[in-house]
Amino acid sequence: MRTSATSFSSIIKNPITAVIFILTISFVLLFLPPRISNQIRMTCAAPVRPLQLAVCFCSNSASNFFERVITAWHDAYDKSQAEEQISQFKNKVVEQQDTIYKLQNKLQSISGFQAENKIDKRKPIPADIIGYDTSNLRKSIVINAGSKHGVKPDNVVVSNNALVGRVVTAGERNSIIQLITDPGSRIPGRVLQTRELVIVEGDSTGFCKLKYVPKWAKLKRGYDIVTSDVGGYYPPSLPVATVFESEIKSGNLFQSVKVLPKVDILKIESVLVITN
Amino acid sequence: MRWFTFFCILLCISLFQSTLINWINIGLAVPDLYFPLVVFYSFTTDFKRNTITSWCAGMAKDLFSEGSFGVYSVFFVAVGFLLWSVRGMLFRGHLVTQIIITFIFSLVYNSMYAMYTAISFNALTPLTTIWIIFICSLYTAFLVPIMFLIFNKFQPAQRFFINR
Repeated sequence: MRTSATSFSSIIKNPITAVIFILTISFVLLFLPPRISNQIRMTCAAPVRPLQLAVCFCSNSASNFFERVITAWHDAYDKSQAEEQISQFKNKVVEQQDTIYKLQNKLQSISGFQAENKIDKRKPIPADIIGYDTSNLRKSIVINAGSKHGVKPDNVVVSNNALVGRVVTAGERNSIIQLITDPGSRIPGRVLQTRELVIVEGDSTGFCKLKYVPKWAKLKRGYDIVTSDVGGYYPPSLPVATVFESEIKSGNLFQSVKVLPKVDILKIESVLVITN
Repeated sequence: MRWFTFFCILLCISLFQSTLINWINIGLAVPDLYFPLVVFYSFTTDFKRNTITSWCAGMAKDLFSEGSFGVYSVFFVAVGFLLWSVRGMLFRGHLVTQIIITFIFSLVYNSMYAMYTAISFNALTPLTTIWIIFICSLYTAFLVPIMFLIFNKFQPAQRFFINR
């Protein structure tokens, strides 16, 4: 008599059945509610996160090191600057300098944020970026702060007092942040100078789009977009982006406006998660 | 086929793709390091192994990407199957074929994913998206010689058919 294990292995040995089996798993995962599938994703990826953190740390250190070397090489043309830098480089070990630089940045951003938001009860949690999205058309990052540190889904993430995105999934020690450039991101905003209400929408490039900008709104390059208090989801007056170009196409109901996010995600190493 | 080596390669690709983006991107262009793996196994393994490796690569990409969980595994299995079924007509040992096939099929699967994203969010700008897909596919295709060299080093193609 055959056991159930044997019959299962014999089913799997059949190529067609194996394909149907794994495709069924994919489709089941695909149609699961996002909350459950995100939890599965966080659990499955958890063992790899320490490796990600280590690789990211090494990459950032190496990147900073090379950046300094290149800067030093460029500055060699200017004698006075080069002398200052050489004396600095002699006195400090590169790794120590890198660590100090990172910590100073974090401290500055925390103190700056707290100084500007003394009345608020919002509590910032500093976190390092440990991973980026592997897809070309989606934009998200992974940070090394999770529910253990107080991060919850839908918390707002900022850097240098400008909006970076929001927490979509919070694991125990890591969280996934949906960036404002992700196609799934929609942020209620306001043009600082003209007070027009807009929706900032990601389009998977380095830029974002403004939706529902009336044709009569006069937007100029360099105008600032801040978060609005409509919906009460995002804290109001948080800088989001600046207007890059606007175009009025005949026949369209609204203007087509391209905006540049305030934060270039590839140039920052740490962020602040705002909990409330 | 050495499954342990395959999973090690997959882990390395996942780590590389998800952390060293600053090192490998050229402007908007970010190569898809998973895709040459799918092409390589579609060219060299049998139907069942090809499907399993494509699915594993897709799941790995899904794990480190925002969006619906499982969508890349379905696309990779579909593209892997398509490649496996047409490989008899191709001179798959030649580098140029490998590059062109990677480019074309990368365009196909990225377009499928873009359509899926566009339907889900209605937020993609068509021309920009086409441009991103094009340069990403081109970049991925140009990485094929190095990637295939590495895969061949760890998984020599002639060994695949020992157990068949």
